[in-house]
Parts: sequence; C-alpha cells; structure tokens
Amino acid sequence: MSRSFQIIAVLLCVAAWAVGETHWSFQPIKRPDVPSVKGNPIDAFLNVRLARTGVPANGPASAQDLVRRVSIVLTGLPPTPEEVRVFETRYAKDPEQAYIRLVEEQLGSKHFGERWAQHWLDVIRWAETNGSEANLYRKMAWVYRDYVVRAFNEDLSYDQFVREQLAGDTLGRGEATGFLVSGPHVPPATVGQIPEAIRQARADRMDEVIQTVGSSLLGLTMNCARCHDHKFDPVSIDDYYSMAAVFQGIEFGSRSPEFGPDHPRRQRGEALLKAIENERKKLHGTGPWQEDWGGYREVHFGAAKFKAIRINFKTPYVGVDELELFGPDLKQGNVALASRGTKVSGPDHMAQRGRTTVSRINDGEYGTMAWRARAPNGSQEKPWALLEFAEPQTVSFVRLSTNREYYYEVDYLERMPGLSFSHMKIEGEGVDGKWRTLADTHFIEKINKERAVRAAPLKAIQTHISEYEEQAPRPSFVGRFVDPGVTRVMHRGSPETLRAEVMPAAPELLAGDLKLNSKTPDAARRARFAEWVTARENPLLARVMVNRIWQHVFGQGIVLTASDFGKAGAKPSHPELLDWLASEFMMPIRSNATSWSVKDTLRLLLYSDAFKRSSRPAKHGGDEALLWRFPPRRVEAEVIRDGILRASGKLDTTLGGRSYRIHNVKKTYAQWKVVDNHGPHTWRRMLYQERMRRVDDQIFTAFDFPDCGQVRAKRPVSTTPLQALNLMNSPFVVQQAALIAERAESEAGQGAGAVKRCFELLLGRAPQAAELKASLAVSHKRGLKFVARALINSNEFAFIP
Amino acid sequence: MSNAEHISPLGRGLLNRRSFMKTSGFALGGLGLAGLLAEEDPTGFSGKQPIRPEIDPHNPYAPRPGHFAMPAKQVLVIYCPGAVSHVDTFDYKPALEKQHGQKADYIPKVTFEGPPGNVAKAFWDFKPRGQTGKMVSDLLPNLAALTDEFCFFHALHSETAAHPQGENFFNTGFTMEGFPSFGAWVTYALGTENAELPGFVAINDPRGLARSGNNNFGSGFLPASFQGTNFTAINPPDNLKRPEKFAAADDAATVDLLKSLNNRHLEKFPGDADLAARIASYELAGKMQTSVPEVMEVTNEPQFIQKEYGTESGSDLRKEYAKNCILARRLIEKGVRVVQLFNGSDPSGGNGITNWDSHANIKDSHAMQAEIMDQPTAALIRDLKRRGLLDHTLIVWATEFGRMPFLQGNGTGRDHNPGAFTCFMAGAGVKGGMSYGASDEFGFKTVDNRTSVYDFNATILHLMGLDHERLSFYHNGLERRLTNVHGHVVKEVLA
Repeated sequence: MSRSFQIIAVLLCVAAWAVGETHWSFQPIKRPDVPSVKGNPIDAFLNVRLARTGVPANGPASAQDLVRRVSIVLTGLPPTPEEVRVFETRYAKDPEQAYIRLVEEQLGSKHFGERWAQHWLDVIRWAETNGSEANLYRKMAWVYRDYVVRAFNEDLSYDQFVREQLAGDTLGRGEATGFLVSGPHVPPATVGQIPEAIRQARADRMDEVIQTVGSSLLGLTMNCARCHDHKFDPVSIDDYYSMAAVFQGIEFGSRSPEFGPDHPRRQRGEALLKAIENERKKLHGTGPWQEDWGGYREVHFGAAKFKAIRINFKTPYVGVDELELFGPDLKQGNVALASRGTKVSGPDHMAQRGRTTVSRINDGEYGTMAWRARAPNGSQEKPWALLEFAEPQTVSFVRLSTNREYYYEVDYLERMPGLSFSHMKIEGEGVDGKWRTLADTHFIEKINKERAVRAAPLKAIQTHISEYEEQAPRPSFVGRFVDPGVTRVMHRGSPETLRAEVMPAAPELLAGDLKLNSKTPDAARRARFAEWVTARENPLLARVMVNRIWQHVFGQGIVLTASDFGKAGAKPSHPELLDWLASEFMMPIRSNATSWSVKDTLRLLLYSDAFKRSSRPAKHGGDEALLWRFPPRRVEAEVIRDGILRASGKLDTTLGGRSYRIHNVKKTYAQWKVVDNHGPHTWRRMLYQERMRRVDDQIFTAFDFPDCGQVRAKRPVSTTPLQALNLMNSPFVVQQAALIAERAESEAGQGAGAVKRCFELLLGRAPQAAELKASLAVSHKRGLKFVARALINSNEFAFIP
Repeated sequence: MSNAEHISPLGRGLLNRRSFMKTSGFALGGLGLAGLLAEEDPTGFSGKQPIRPEIDPHNPYAPRPGHFAMPAKQVLVIYCPGAVSHVDTFDYKPALEKQHGQKADYIPKVTFEGPPGNVAKAFWDFKPRGQTGKMVSDLLPNLAALTDEFCFFHALHSETAAHPQGENFFNTGFTMEGFPSFGAWVTYALGTENAELPGFVAINDPRGLARSGNNNFGSGFLPASFQGTNFTAINPPDNLKRPEKFAAADDAATVDLLKSLNNRHLEKFPGDADLAARIASYELAGKMQTSVPEVMEVTNEPQFIQKEYGTESGSDLRKEYAKNCILARRLIEKGVRVVQLFNGSDPSGGNGITNWDSHANIKDSHAMQAEIMDQPTAALIRDLKRRGLLDHTLIVWATEFGRMPFLQGNGTGRDHNPGAFTCFMAGAGVKGGMSYGASDEFGFKTVDNRTSVYDFNATILHLMGLDHERLSFYHNGLERRLTNVHGHVVKEVLA
C-alpha cells in the first residue's frame, strides 16, 4: 500500500465517522470480479441485472444500423454510401471480422478526434469569446481546440491529457492550459472602476476556473462551497479556497504557449524564422529596413556596439507601451530594459496627464500603461527617447509597439488598434562617443523605391511574417500567469471579508494535502495538483471519465449526472461495472490494452453485445438503463450539419486551424451578428465554427447547441418548432438540398436512380418501394431537391439508429 | 422532457423503478410524480421540495397549472436597458434641490466610471399625479397619467453596477451567464395558452439586442423549447417564411413526403415519444407560419389605435417601438404566456442614443429615450386595461439599476447606482396606486422595505401562481432557481 493510499484510507475512515457513511464515489476504487469469464466483461455485468429483472435483451442490430451507429458515435459523421456498401458486403461474409474492421477504421480516422473533442469542449463550456457585454473574440484560443483534437486522435493517455491541461507550460504543451480559462469572464473595461467590483470580478474568474477543474475532472460541484461549506458534499469553504490557491497564478488572457521541441507549431515557427533570417541576409549592405509585425514594428540597421540609442519621432504625438533593443544574437535579449540598468529619458513636459512618463517604454510591460507624449503646438522639438546602457551593447534592431497586449487579445473589431507613431530617426552613440544616424524611416522609404534588389526580400519577409502570425507559436488565449500571492478564505464568498490564509491544496476529504505553501510558485502548484489528481488513489478521476465515455456511447451515463458524483448527483445504475471500468481504465489487465487509453475503453464498449443490439422498442418496456436495447437518440447539431455537408459532397475535411466565421466584424460594445452561416467558407465540420458564447447561429443553436455560459455535462435534447423551421427554410438547408440533388443526378442520372442516390447519401440505404414511389412523384412534380429537403428533415436522419 | 438527469435524485429513483422513458410514450403527469416528489428526499435537501411541471413530451407547450391559483395568467415585461434614473422619473427627492451644485459627504471617492462631481437636482419638474397625488416628473407625462394603476418599488437594489451583469441579474437571477431567463422559467412551469404561437416572445428594440443579448431571454440549462422566440413587428423569427424561390406547392410536397417518411419510420418504433414529438413540432411549425405573420400585422389596427400608440408620429425609433407595443398587446390578447418588450439596445445601434445609459448629457439622452418609450408604453397599458386583459395579465416595468443623485466628473451625466432604483408593476394581482419601500432622502441608498431583485422576482412568480422556492431544476449538483437561494415575496403589494 502506497503512502498516499494509506493517508486516504485513514482520512476516509475519519470522514466516514464524521458524515456517517462515506459516499460511494469518495470510496477507493476496488476492482470487482467479473461475473462471468466468458465474453465481453461489460455484457457479463449487464447480463446479471438483465437476468435478475427478467427483461429479455434485443437481438443484434442490422448491418445497416450498425455502420451508422458506429460511425456517428466514433467520428460524428454518418457513413458514406460506399462505406455502408463495403461494410454490408464484409458483414455478410464474416460479421465478427467486419465489425472489428469497422470499429478499428473509425477509431483510426482523423475525424475521431474531432468528435470526441466536441464532447470535451462541451464539458468545460469552451468558447472563442469571453461572453459578457463586449463578448470579445479570444484570439487564437483555437490552438487549444486543435490540441484536444490531436490528443484524442493520438490517444494521449488520459492522465497525461489532464496533466498537460493543468500544467502544460511545464510539459512543453503550453496551449493545453486553454482548459483553465475555458469559462466566460468579464473584461476589465466592463467591470468598472470601483475597487470592490474589480476584486469581485477576479473572484468570479477564479470561480470559473474552479468550476472547470472541479466538474470536468472530479465530478464535484466545488463552486457550491464558495460562500459556505457544501450543502451536500463534504467539501468545506476552506477546501474551496485551498483549491483556488492552486490556480491563483492563472489569469484570463493571452500568452505565447510553451512548446516542446517536438511540437509541430514550434517547428513551423523555427522554420519560418530561419526563412526570414535568410531574407534579411539579402538585405544586409543595402541599407536599413522596416518590418511590420502587426502588433509591433521593427527597424533594422547594421549591428554595432553602442553606449546609447536615441529615437527621434517626427510626429507631434506618440504612444509607445514598450521599446525594445536587440542584437543579432537574440539570446542576449532586450537590452533596453530598466532591469538591465538601461536609463531612459525623454521630454517630460510632453508627457500626457503626468502618469504616462517615458519610463513606461522600458519597464517590460505591454498594454495600456504606455508612454504618451504630445509636443506643444508649433514646437520644433518632437517627442524623443534616449536609452543609455550601463555597459556598451550590440544592437541591430529596434522593436516598438503602442499596445501590444490589445493587439494580441483583440480581433474582429471594426476599429483595430493601430500604432500611434509613424516616422522616426534612430541614432546611436558608438563606443567612441560619436553619434551617428542608424536609420531614418523617410530614407528607408526612399531607398526601397530606388534599390530594386530590396523588393523581393522585403516582400518575402512580410509574407513569412503573415504565415508566422498564423502558424507559429503566437500569443494565444490560453491564460496568462500572475503572481499567485497569498490566498485567504472569503467569508460568504466576498472578497471584502477575508479570513484565514489557506495553503494550495485539493479537498481534504480526498487526501488533498499537497505540502505546498503561499510561497510555492504558480507552476509548481499546478504541477503538484496534477500529480495528485492523476494518482491512481484518486477515486474520482477515472470513474468520472469512464462514465463520460459511456454516456457518449450509450446516450446516458452509468451515473446520469456526469459532472456531479456528489450526494446530490445520481447513483450509478451499475456500480460494479463502473468500478471495473475505472480499474481497467487505470490499470488494464486485459491483453493489448494500455493505461488511461480512451480508445481502448471505447473498444471495450463497442465490442460488447449491448452496443450491437437492435434499438427496436419492446412491449415489456424495461428500464433503458439496463441496456436491453441500444437506446436510440437524436444526434447533436454538429452531426446534422456535418452529415448534410457530407451528403452533398461539399464537406471540407481539413483538420484544425482557424475557425470559420459566420458573423460580422463588430464594434467593441456591439452584439455579433450572423452574416453568412451557409456559404462555401462554412463547409467545414461544425467543430470549426467559431464557438461564440451567446450567439444564435440561426440554424443549429435551436438544436440545444450550448451557449457555453455554464458547465454542461450533457446537452439537453429538446424538440421545438424553431428546429423544424430552421431545418426546412434556412438558406443552408435550401442550398444543400439543391446540391445533394445535383450530386445525385450527376452520379445516378434522372428519375428513380437519383432518388435512390439521395436516400443512400442521406440515410445510407435504398428507399423501400412505397418510399420510392412517393419520392419519385415529388421529384417529378416539384424537383429532386424537395426529396432531399424532406430527407434532411426526416426523423431517420436525425436519430442514431 | 425526457432528460432524466435533470430530475431530482428522489425523482430519478422513482423513475428507475417505474421503467421510465422513451418506449412507453410516457409523460411525467401520468405517474402523478408531482405528488410523489413531495415525499421526504433521501439526499437531505433541506427546505421545500421542488414541484416539477408535468410536461407532455408530445406537447411541451401545453398549458399547465401553477402551484396555486392566482389572477395573473400572463406577464408582460417592459425592460429598459441602460438604467433609468429613478431620481429623474418616479422617485421624488426634494432634498436634492437644496444640495444642488454642492459636494455632499455621502458621495464616494469613485463610482463605476470614476471620480464623481456634485449633487444635481432632477432635470425635470415633478408634479402630483392622479388620485393618489404621486409625484412623477415631466419626463414621462403619459406614464405619469397612469400612476393610479401602478405599484412602485422604490427600494430596489442590485448586486452589480455593470449593465450586462445587471441585465443578467434582473432577467436570470444571476450576474453570470448561462442561467435560464425569467420567461423560460415561467413557460417551463406553465406552458402556454395558444398552441399556435411561441409561449415566450422577446420583442427586441428596433436598434438590436440589449447588452446581454440572448442571455436575457435564453433557456440556459432548461430545454431549448423554453427559450424566448425573438421577433418584432417588422422582423419575423428566423427562417419562418417559406424560402422565396419556393412555391407553396413545393412546401406542401416536402411536408407530405416528410410526413409519410416519418410515419413509416415510426412504425419501427411504435409509441416512441421523442419521434412523435418531433413529428408534432413540424405540425406546430406549419401553424406558426400562418399565426405569427398574422399576429405581426400591426398596421391593420384601426387609425385611433395607431394614433394612440404613436406609430405615425415622433421619431422613427418611436414609431417602430410603438409598433412593437401593438405587437405586444396582440400577443397578450392571443394568450402568449410571457412577452418581454425591450426599450433599448447595446451601445452600437441606432442614432447615438441606444438605451437609457446616460453618463454624459443626461438631459438630452434621457429625453430622447423617453420620447421613444413614454407614449407607446402608456398606450399599451391603457389598451390592455380597456380590453380587460389586465384582469389576468401582470405588467412589469423594469431596468437594471438606478442612477446617482450626483453628477459624474464631467458635470452632465449620472453614473450607475445599484444602491437604489425604482421599477413598477401593474395589473393582475397587484395593488394599484401604491408605492412600496423608500430610498434615502437623496435616492442614493435604500432605507425602508429594502427589496432585492430576488424579492422582486419572487413576487412576480408568486403573482403568476408559482412558489419561487419550489420552481427549480436540477443542474450540476444543485436545484437551481430563478431566485438562487434568496428572495421573499413582498406580500404588501398583493391585491
């Protein structure tokens, strides 16, 4: 018995004494014996209950239903007619082998990760806007979405997936911390200036982090303990703030993610920088040049050692948040920093409103705290800045910006922030004490025109820069780090009534003492918490995840309340089965299975008889949870949209990258408006539709697409007339119905052949005689596209069989 | 609906025993569950037990009884985003006249937008109105004439000084996003009286959605069936109309074919409630294609109505808002359960004045907004009364918080005041000519019969026959309520 296991056992006894009996989910996972050695263990567990209740199980589903079921469950895409045909042929020869091949092919599909990423993103209400009034876009937040897709596709072990999301910055997977800032937040501008409101807003943001971690990983509604001890579960207010202390170093915002050397994005970035460096070489000797990096500008000149650098701006007004000086060896870093002994001076009388002094430009902070200077009307002297080094430094370029933070975080707004400076002259004082001009931007413009040799490399540099912006490690909305400081309990949840200091820890009930204190640095806190949460002694992590997997396969979890394993949650319908699955998930004893493998767990589920059963109802009306049949269910919004696009043959199956956009470019304090939700640029999987909090996409939101406001363990399935109207009349469906008809006719000619093809494309089967007759009549009288439109709206298309 | 995880732990236990779900075409009502759920709950929920609405999955909008009988069957919420200044409208503060232009010791160092300026008296004169002699300012002369009908709440206070959070708080009971709106709660509980119109209609301002957008009328974690349907007198709901290129016969052919496909499919799943509900939803959608354009035909109203509401005079925005007011009346007339009428948008729409927010030049901005709101709203209330609809319709006029009795540093506008503000109710079940609660002599903080937004919402639910402590929905570990864990019904205002 490991040490921590002993601790947890002792604690559980104490807890049991304190609260009576320990709630089932907080008890250690003990591997139950499988009731029967024969067959799939899942069936063994299920059959015990079926036998006890006397409910007869259904026979196997048809090949046609099976291929559709497997395909939608694993990849979220209905099968193509060709896939159906191939499977049916194989199935007729050897059902078992055909089925194995089907499941393995679908597990190996690149679309598998897209489907399962969608489930995970729902759980943590991930979105690409921050919600609230301005509902601003979270720039490059999608790198986290791509990370999740990749993790599921590569079958990254779940414990590692969890560790990376909690502390990816320490593991070369910096973008994975997008997990922590997946919830909504109110940006400072709409919090207002009242100090209490600012503190409250920070506490609200921390609460979002705790909600995310607590519900997704532990299935605990930790946030219930924000104001007082949890009403139902043994989670105290101290537990809540101890856990807050673990994440106190996280703030909602952007940073450049830490990528390991093997990360594709880092490799791409390095290649691009090399390419840019090669182009720069071609410019050497042709005079100075400028580079426009969007958020900042660089002015390059010949490298030399300098005692000081002076920038003379040529316009009366400048705004600069940071001015950096680099040499050819980037490792030496920014030598302009005050922290490196560089002294800065400028025309104090020009500083705006007193507080925006020139010292802002070398304090190492980007953002609104900038130097703003304005020359008096008619003044010959314009704003300037002098940077004097403690020791002579090699400098070859200047980098300066106005509000780099805003640029990294803000996108898709009508008025994008520009740079508040234009022309300038840069001078340097050599080690000989002599001043000379290094670059003058007017002169640069002049030689750009005159010296033809410069054109090609300058253009190539700008092209690479735009590629770099999209493909390299860039500031992305995956959270930024702040000083965690000391955390105190907030009495009644109010930041105005602080109580005792708490140490970073997980809930006491779960042996959550992490041996940390208020001095432990942020990353170490999260890394330690990640170790704790993924330890095999933790009774919740595996139970919660296998239950989620089960839910997405069978439609409802063994525990119905997939993000609440506490006392207010539901009890498991099959407790032994849940614990056996959790044990197998962590430490499989069946052959060929690996620890914490989501795909291996799915194999277990999909190879069971229970999954392969027919979904037809029966008169006995047995409890669905017994799984005497496969419970049919309506598919999600994504499956409907993706399925329609697949049927028309228009689905662009490119994996990952920037999301497609259906809305306008808006003013800061405006609502997003849908401008084009159906054009060719949207013909990708819906996972890549920019996930906007609170924006009705005017088609699929009505299909219970989450608003991403609150954590959502499972989407509700509701039926409304608005769904019907959207699926009958939206421009998307109207256009796609026509495209499907066009495709059917081009592949199968006119008449019955085309009608048959429409059925195959949308339902994966041929029409029955009566269906064919009715559809042909519609096709003749009104056109084939109305057949396609009816099929898109049919119940058969909308349900997993 | 058949989302079993949203039923309380006790309910789930019962359902498991009764072989719940899809195969039996089962409705919660069939088991008389509401009664059973009043039993003791093994998980130790304290307080009152939830009362679950008995929702027929075939028809989630069917009218359902409330928890107890009350006169209000429908509710019209007139929501004024941006925060209406109570000290310039309904909350008369003569003390401000004495202090006008001076500093005062109660003024904090910083309010929402920054450092404040000096005290300012109301920008409009107050006069006694109606039989009660209630003091109301000249800013809203038409509404002022109706004060005998109104029940004012003068001691309201909010938990936030920011608009979007304030809108969320008022309309969903939480400052954060993603919680069900008031209208969603009410339609979830009560269904609706008119099967051919949506149960909950959000008539947004001609300038666009308010700052919290869809969250003000969303369904949060309740089923999407109960979200507000967004349309105005001019803009129909999305995708309501038959696509332009299609003929009526195209639609008929599609619908007939769909019906036959679905019926054949249903033969394989006899009695499946989800499939049947989806078939029914297409029928309802078809009916809505006729009934919604009909109800939107506000221009068919007689001339005297057009004149009274003001659809043909005043600013363009006033004309459009007036049409929305007529639409609101027509919806109430048709039995729509909840109508939420907005008078203001987020700050990007319209002609510069987009809502009641008035950080600068309050005199102009409130006047422009009042010109839009006053006459049509007053006409709407009068019209409802004339038609006898107030006998069973509750009217709620609301805003997210008030404005400061002193000016901002700029000397022309008033900053947000969550410490005190005024809203009113009228109609079914509520006393007319009443003023409940009081703010201090400056209108800065509440002093007497303080009323939280939770209390206000609890009172509205009570007037609709719903116990705010028993109207709940299990979500992620908690029985969630419109009033969170707070709220007391203000009994004093009940007629």
